[in-house]
Amino acid sequence: MRLARLALVTLGLAAAARPAVGAVAIGEKLQPFKLNDATGKTVDLGSLQGRQAVVLMFIATQCPVSNAYNERMAALAREYGAKGVAFVGINSNRQESVEEIAGHAAQHGFAFPILKDVGNVQADHFGAQVTPEIYVYDPGWVLRYHGRIDDDRSGANVKSQDLRNALDAVLAGRAVPVAETKAFGCTIKRVAQ
Amino acid sequence: MSPAALLLAAVLAGQLDAAAVGRAVAAHRGRPVVLTLWATWCEPCVKEFPALAALARERKDVAFLSVSIDEPGDRKAVEAFVADRRPPFPVYTRAPGPDQTFIDGVDREWSGVVPATLVYDREGRRVALLQGEHTRADIEKALARTKAARGAGL
Repeated sequence: MRLARLALVTLGLAAAARPAVGAVAIGEKLQPFKLNDATGKTVDLGSLQGRQAVVLMFIATQCPVSNAYNERMAALAREYGAKGVAFVGINSNRQESVEEIAGHAAQHGFAFPILKDVGNVQADHFGAQVTPEIYVYDPGWVLRYHGRIDDDRSGANVKSQDLRNALDAVLAGRAVPVAETKAFGCTIKRVAQ
Repeated sequence: MSPAALLLAAVLAGQLDAAAVGRAVAAHRGRPVVLTLWATWCEPCVKEFPALAALARERKDVAFLSVSIDEPGDRKAVEAFVADRRPPFPVYTRAPGPDQTFIDGVDREWSGVVPATLVYDREGRRVALLQGEHTRADIEKALARTKAARGAGL
């Protein structure tokens, strides 16, 4: 079975090992922020209020695990975008330039903005460790899901459609069946501390 | 068997699920154990691998194990990497199965990020979990905790 990556916030030594500070928890409210997208345009998350859900996706251009999900991310964004869900990509990797991000997004048909998180400020705030790592907020901007997209990096043997399940639950006003999942992935390449 | 095949047979140590990882660690009871989880596609894993190998060559008192979480389809990449680097410790690959079962089975505090280095004391208690890229000094520091535990009679 292929592996996808994402991370659960951990305690103790794990947290001490993290170069980041802070982490958001299930049930916590989204603190809106503004970042420039790959074209240099400022995107204000506050402008997404009123959407049925907001999906924040920490992604990468060079990570094989993140790249394995490119088509699935684009397809989910199209499908759920039609249902009022906003998808936003965030690239916090220090070595991936805005030019590279823009080219990668165009190449893979991403219809959602990709925000450049200079200095991994948002990755630190969210406690995101890997790519792809997903955060789903409900219409009240409460975090309802954190983790992987699904349980199979290859896409051929998916048994648990975690992001899809979370979105279906949020859209239906139900509890998300599994609010937090783990998966393997590429470490977010942060700036030196 | 060709020399190359013999070399691979010597260093690729088979597939492990989470329970088998636990048994592999437990088999070294009496010595500290450093368990590294990594992947060939993981840049920081590849970067820290030489330091880990160098440390393993020096610290004969410590058992080093590693488990690649590469996909089964990427086995050739693992084989090539191991044949090239020739680490002085066994390199296992992860057995197919659900991600979360493996991650939680290895250590519930492990987020799933790689590289991850877990250090166990002589009694098999995990004393450190280093998630993400770490230096040789970080691992040595963690190993020092295994001595501290023994010194404290723990």
